[in-house]
Amino acid sequence: MQGEKREGPGRAGRSEILVGSILKRFREPIFVVALLAVPFVIFFVKAKKGRDLNLVDKVVLSLTAPIEKTISGTAFAVSDVWHGYLALRGVRDENVRLRRESIRARSIEQQTTELRLENERLKRLLDFTDKQAPMRLLTARVVAVGASPHSHTLRIARGADDGVVKGAAVIAPDGIVGTVAQLTSAYADVQLVVSPLSAVPAITQRTRGRSTVKGTGDIGRCKLEYALRTDDLQEGDLLVTAGGPGFYPPGLRIGRVTNVVRKPHGLFLDAEVVPAVDFSRLDEVSVVVAAEPTPAPPAEVAGSPQ
Amino acid sequence: MTLRIALVILVCAALSVVESVVPFLLHLRTARADLLLIVILYLALHDDVIEGAALSAVAGYLSDLTSATPAFLYTFLGVLTFIVVRLGGSALKTEGGIQSAAVAFGASLIHSIIATLVFGFFTGAGMHFEFGPLIWSAVGTAIAAPIVFSILRRLDSGFLHVDGGGLH
Repeated sequence: MQGEKREGPGRAGRSEILVGSILKRFREPIFVVALLAVPFVIFFVKAKKGRDLNLVDKVVLSLTAPIEKTISGTAFAVSDVWHGYLALRGVRDENVRLRRESIRARSIEQQTTELRLENERLKRLLDFTDKQAPMRLLTARVVAVGASPHSHTLRIARGADDGVVKGAAVIAPDGIVGTVAQLTSAYADVQLVVSPLSAVPAITQRTRGRSTVKGTGDIGRCKLEYALRTDDLQEGDLLVTAGGPGFYPPGLRIGRVTNVVRKPHGLFLDAEVVPAVDFSRLDEVSVVVAAEPTPAPPAEVAGSPQ
Repeated sequence: MTLRIALVILVCAALSVVESVVPFLLHLRTARADLLLIVILYLALHDDVIEGAALSAVAGYLSDLTSATPAFLYTFLGVLTFIVVRLGGSALKTEGGIQSAAVAFGASLIHSIIATLVFGFFTGAGMHFEFGPLIWSAVGTAIAAPIVFSILRRLDSGFLHVDGGGLH
């Protein structure tokens, strides 16, 4: 019929319909590819920078960490009750053994005190000033481990509110544990020295040779790097931290050398290190934090009224 | 957000807590189960694509939060695992306990190898293949798989009953 004109969609309208139909048809693949690409891009960009927790991360952690703390705290309390009241068998024998150990420890302590005093006297004689930054140790309870079996972390019940900072060294009586990798106000995740992201400058206690202890991802083994082939490194040698700004305080135990292989060529030898700390049996650790500034003594005012 | 999505997220959060606390209390060094990976497997085999992929990303994100690895590594791996298992889904059967354990064992090994490759390549930490821990972790995951699958099946059967009763 004349005068009757079919009004179809314009070019813009047609392209909108086309896009709409494509989106509708390929909704699932588009969504999945986006869900795959976004985390990958963020991971790729931040892969070498470490992790800073955002608000959502902090909210999720502040919800789950107290539950972990409650469960592990309850389990430890039950275990304490069991060991304290029910499992008293063998206590007498243990008591005798502990008394003997105590006598031995006291004698070692006396020797150590003598050595410390001698060291201080010699330092004074040499006019040696301790350039180490003042520090204090903050005891922290371990409440959980990293959720993924491939993670090498511990969660401790101390956080930014207690003075813990990212990168702070974490130690145990047997040796070094790791460094703080991420933290909230009340909790911190410690990256263990066995993590592939960890590298610790080390000194062999016997020879004073320098090297680096690198994590492998295996909880019972690290790798020794940059130890000179000419070093007299032997199986069983103890490695201690070399110290330095931004690292662990010097002289802390890292582990013992094992599997030393000297190749006929190259600058460095190959060796492994068994960590001094059994990370699966840590209930408490200490975090190295900066010492609080000591208040200056009140200045004496000359001529003040007596 | 439907109630089921909220409940699956809650199950993921609960499993993440279990995964963090139980190995610590039992002093487990290697045979640690990847419970959130089992959830991703279940979602890949039973869920709608969009909902399953989104929930897999959430499960991966929860792993990410406690791993102190660079952000979103496990989120990416969670979605990748979902896609791979979904594509091979018709060949995989998880009806019985042994079948689900076998699937979880294989998936855990592949997931671990890809995680090591991606982590080592992009962070500059180098490739450290420790097959002992990988296999022990896969064994732990295989043992836990029938339990986690049955929890999720119960959750889903509850929803089927509600749907059948006409409650929406």
